[in-house]
Amino acid sequence: MNLNKRVVAAITLGIVCFVLTIAIFVQIKTTNNSNSTVAQTMEENDLRDQVLRMKEKYDNIYAELQNATKKLEQVRENATKDDSEAKAKQEELRLNNMLLCQSDMTGEGVIITLKDGTTNNSDVLSSLTATDVIVHNSDLLQIVNDLKNAGAEAISINGERIVQTSSITCEGIIIKINNKKLGSPYVIKAIGSAATLETSLSIPDGYLDIMKNDGVIVDIKKSDGLTVEKYDGVITTKYLETDD
Amino acid sequence: MVLIAIIIGCLIGAIIGIYAPIIPYTYSGYLAIAIIAALDSVFGGINSLLKKNFDLKIFVTGFFGNAILSILLTILGQKLNVDIYLAAIVVFVGRMFNNLASIRRYYLDKWTNRKRTKTEVETEKATEQLEGENKK
Repeated sequence: MNLNKRVVAAITLGIVCFVLTIAIFVQIKTTNNSNSTVAQTMEENDLRDQVLRMKEKYDNIYAELQNATKKLEQVRENATKDDSEAKAKQEELRLNNMLLCQSDMTGEGVIITLKDGTTNNSDVLSSLTATDVIVHNSDLLQIVNDLKNAGAEAISINGERIVQTSSITCEGIIIKINNKKLGSPYVIKAIGSAATLETSLSIPDGYLDIMKNDGVIVDIKKSDGLTVEKYDGVITTKYLETDD
Repeated sequence: MVLIAIIIGCLIGAIIGIYAPIIPYTYSGYLAIAIIAALDSVFGGINSLLKKNFDLKIFVTGFFGNAILSILLTILGQKLNVDIYLAAIVVFVGRMFNNLASIRRYYLDKWTNRKRTKTEVETEKATEQLEGENKK
């Protein structure tokens, strides 16, 4: 009886060790494969935490700033109510803000949507031209240039206003505009003469036409009253000096 | 016999483990804590076996129960943003050390006892011989 019990215990321990070693090997292989140790993930978690916290802080401060700007506008309006000269100044300020992209704009224009196309991986030819169906930063630059050439007065891509300091750069799988990371689909809003913008962009063999032929999903729509968001960054100057 | 069973189990496990598929990285944290729990169970089992109070039911339920409970605690900790798995690791590793100390003490006692009895026997023989020579 006692011997029998010992045999059962030995067999169970053997089975448990068997399961345990399999689990240990799987775990070692997984951690080797993902190329990171426990310490690194802890550091990563910390960094992610910090980023989230910073973002929250930034959002809060940004909301505060917006409130303050609104209040300032109100105060200014109250102060200049009965003063024609001040009113003129106020008008000038408004115009300047408009030109500096510091206020939301509405007007007629076009909305262009660009979306990465899909490739058939099994098809050798289509996998060779896989890079053609993706929207690149150069495509966006070309379209922005074309829009400006056609007389667009305000342009935004995925809510990022194109201002004088804007850059459109390729950051691997994403595109960076005004230091914000954007991904497909790209919605380009442009205010200007809707008819002119539309015809100048959708001419046969024009840039959009070529992109469409390459496999990018392109959509262009006229709109009577679209809104282009204001630039929510700050333009700082460090080296500029007036030539007095 | 228990030792042989453990070694055979480990060897077969290693051979199969080399060819086992990998799991998604998100689950590797849970597997790690389950491994610690299972290791603790194994050492506990060996210890109780040496103390002759090994119970199969307690061992098997402890093995699975500890592993599952520790995984659940880890998931709960992630949901609550508290590293509960650290507590589980501290408890399991602490118990592992206790069990290891107990196993070590058992074998040390056994070894010293054997040595003492051996020397006693030798001294008895030597004294008998001496007495026999003296009689001659």
